[in-house]
Amino acid sequence: MKNKNKNQLLILISLLLILGVGVSVYKISVLGFSLSPDAKETVWTVEAAVTFVADGGPVEVSLNMPDNLNDLVVANIQEQAPGFDFKSVVKNGSSRGIWTAKSATGPHKIYMRADVYRQDVAGVRSAKGRENGPKISILTGSAKTLADSLIKDARKKGNDPVIVSKELLRLMNQPELNVSSSRLLEMKSEFGGSLGLAQVLLNQAGVTSQRVKGLFLNGEGKKRKIKGYLEIKKGDSWVMLDPAKATEIDSDSFLLWQVNNESMLEVIGGSKSKLSFSTVTTKILANQVAIDTGLNKDSLLIDFSIYSLPLQAQNSFKLLLLIPFGALIVVIMRNLVGVSTSGTFLPILIALTFLQTSLLAGLALFLLIVSVGLVLRSYLSHLNLLLVPRISAVLVFVIIIYLAISVISYKMGSDVGLLVTFFPMIIISWTIERMSILWEEEGPKEVFIQGGGTLLTASLIYLLLSNRFVGHLTYSFPELLLVVLAVILMIGSYTGYRLSELRRFEPLGRD
Amino acid sequence: MLRFISPSKLREHGIVGMNMRNVRHIAENNPRHLYPSVDDKLKTKILAEAAGIAVPRLLGVIRVQKHVKQMVPFLKDEPNFVVKPAKGSGGKGILVITGREGDGFVKPSGEVIDEHDLHRHASNTLSGLFSLGGNPDVAMIEEMVQFADVFEGFTYQGVPDLRIIVYKGFPIMSMARLSTANSDGKANLHQGAVGAGIDIGKGRALLAIQHGLPIEVHPDTKRPLSELVIPDWVECLRLASSCYEMTKLGYLGADIVLDANKGPLILELNARPGLAIQMANGYGLNPRVDLVDSVADQNLSVAERVDFSMREFGKL
Repeated sequence: MKNKNKNQLLILISLLLILGVGVSVYKISVLGFSLSPDAKETVWTVEAAVTFVADGGPVEVSLNMPDNLNDLVVANIQEQAPGFDFKSVVKNGSSRGIWTAKSATGPHKIYMRADVYRQDVAGVRSAKGRENGPKISILTGSAKTLADSLIKDARKKGNDPVIVSKELLRLMNQPELNVSSSRLLEMKSEFGGSLGLAQVLLNQAGVTSQRVKGLFLNGEGKKRKIKGYLEIKKGDSWVMLDPAKATEIDSDSFLLWQVNNESMLEVIGGSKSKLSFSTVTTKILANQVAIDTGLNKDSLLIDFSIYSLPLQAQNSFKLLLLIPFGALIVVIMRNLVGVSTSGTFLPILIALTFLQTSLLAGLALFLLIVSVGLVLRSYLSHLNLLLVPRISAVLVFVIIIYLAISVISYKMGSDVGLLVTFFPMIIISWTIERMSILWEEEGPKEVFIQGGGTLLTASLIYLLLSNRFVGHLTYSFPELLLVVLAVILMIGSYTGYRLSELRRFEPLGRD
Repeated sequence: MLRFISPSKLREHGIVGMNMRNVRHIAENNPRHLYPSVDDKLKTKILAEAAGIAVPRLLGVIRVQKHVKQMVPFLKDEPNFVVKPAKGSGGKGILVITGREGDGFVKPSGEVIDEHDLHRHASNTLSGLFSLGGNPDVAMIEEMVQFADVFEGFTYQGVPDLRIIVYKGFPIMSMARLSTANSDGKANLHQGAVGAGIDIGKGRALLAIQHGLPIEVHPDTKRPLSELVIPDWVECLRLASSCYEMTKLGYLGADIVLDANKGPLILELNARPGLAIQMANGYGLNPRVDLVDSVADQNLSVAERVDFSMREFGKL
């Protein structure tokens, strides 16, 4: 029976530890939370502006939306287009924003703004529709012969798809040096321009390619140009090439907007449409990024958590989540160290007050209130009052003391005394009552021991609660509460000696 | 300089710490529902009288304010008596009347109080002035113990008593609590009373401590504490041991006083006895607890348990 209880407790403690630590580790390694309160991440706000002149009839504007590429995450898409209805649709694996209006005339400007975060975690997001691009025509006749000779030239450098592609592009960029390429370029209109031709050639050489368009996010700029690049499939990944320079491009901060033949912008019922881009770079807290992207991705762990609460409620929880850590300190101080405190949770309440008053002012005010209170309370002792009237009388004293401290301090030109109102007066009244009884029953020594223990514990709790790192941990990883609970349960079943007992029983060790 | 003892050395001595007392001894042996029978002294007394355990005689109980006025006529034949709260703690609210002086009542200090003071004391007790948490209480009136003079020279001004720890019905450790000038006549160890460990085998003092430190002689009377021998020792053990059947509490502190005429009487019981008794004895409770655990399922009688304890735990 006793063993069964013990085993149950062990299982419970292990479960809590695994759950608490596990969720934290998951949030750090997968969701991108940071242990450091100062970790910042770059956020790019990308704005696409569509300008057009409406013809006066019904208008539909359709804009391709950016995709996730590599570790860039698109979140918080907002649009601004007065007079237009907005909807987002997903068609053939690509998402589009569509603005419609029954009728519109004159020039219009539509904005679409998105925050783009970098998620520094493994697991590359595959971009949409990357495996099934449009059909690429097969070369025949003289074009095939020309292409084969060009590919043969290109293959001289090596067989790697990237090397072949780079070489092919280089040859095509210098038609004056290569007959085949100049002859082929003459036919480029049949293949949808030179890039289309390049794709056909690459296909002929056995290289899978696709055309992508997008923006580079590094560096700031008001006017950003969307540029087209060629991507070459190499193994399981894609390598981005600049077709004009035949060089590899680092796609790290490339925001992919368009793949293959998706149309970028379609305006029906308007003319002179123009699309322009601008980006702004900002740094924000890493965890905010993780929370935002998590909410965006409907991650259950984040969706059903305090981050989904209104901001005001979140702020109250920031404080509430700290209290268990205070309780842990009380448990440690009482059951492991053996410090006696007045009441179990008084140190926590006083520490919370210190958070408002600062430590030194708080300690001074507490000592002042309690000692004046004890003096006044000792007078009540002589009157042999009943309990409830007595404690009520103490409460009145306490309020008078508050008022006196505030007024005297203010008249002396200091605002410190005004902080006294942060002390919870009902609790202070009880403390004075208890201390007073302790004084009568056990003597002043016990009052100083308990009072000192209370203030020491409260100060430690204050130092912990006011620590930025602890605040960050509790708020970003509320599951750590389970770890705190596990530790409290562990201490609850601890049967070893307290530190103070090593002192108390010391005479037994003497010979 | 602060001196410490290592945990391993404490374990070697078998010392029970606060955490072990609370988690193991008390939580496992004292089910919560049994507490009221010891926390309420009136219940303890009624249980004890029913079980034939010697206690100071109960003269009456003041349960409601109406009874307060009837007190003095009720007590007209009792020259001395004690008024105490049923749920008081630490000796608070105990009023001892040793005699009469005209209409007045004489306290042990010689101070004389009148009928009014007596009424107010009883009335305050009812309203919970002395009880834990200020709960309403009742006032018990019991006969005054005529203290045996065997403690002459071992106490100063106050009431000596005997604390015996009873584990699963076996008396396993004992000490005498002797008041001093420092403790203001109280038998409370942390207020400065002397605790003298008493050998379970023979009822003789082993060693003594005051304020947690060993002493040889009583600080006020200078009488060597090693001369202390408790009379009626077997009866004391028997009395303490039989409290197990009465309360079913597996870990119990029995407080015993020695009446000059009636011998040992149970004054009160404690479900959470303190640990200072180990200091007064110079060794820990744990080995004895373990030894008792090994024979606890034999359902021994009170006499057999006392025999076992005297045999196994006697040091002298």
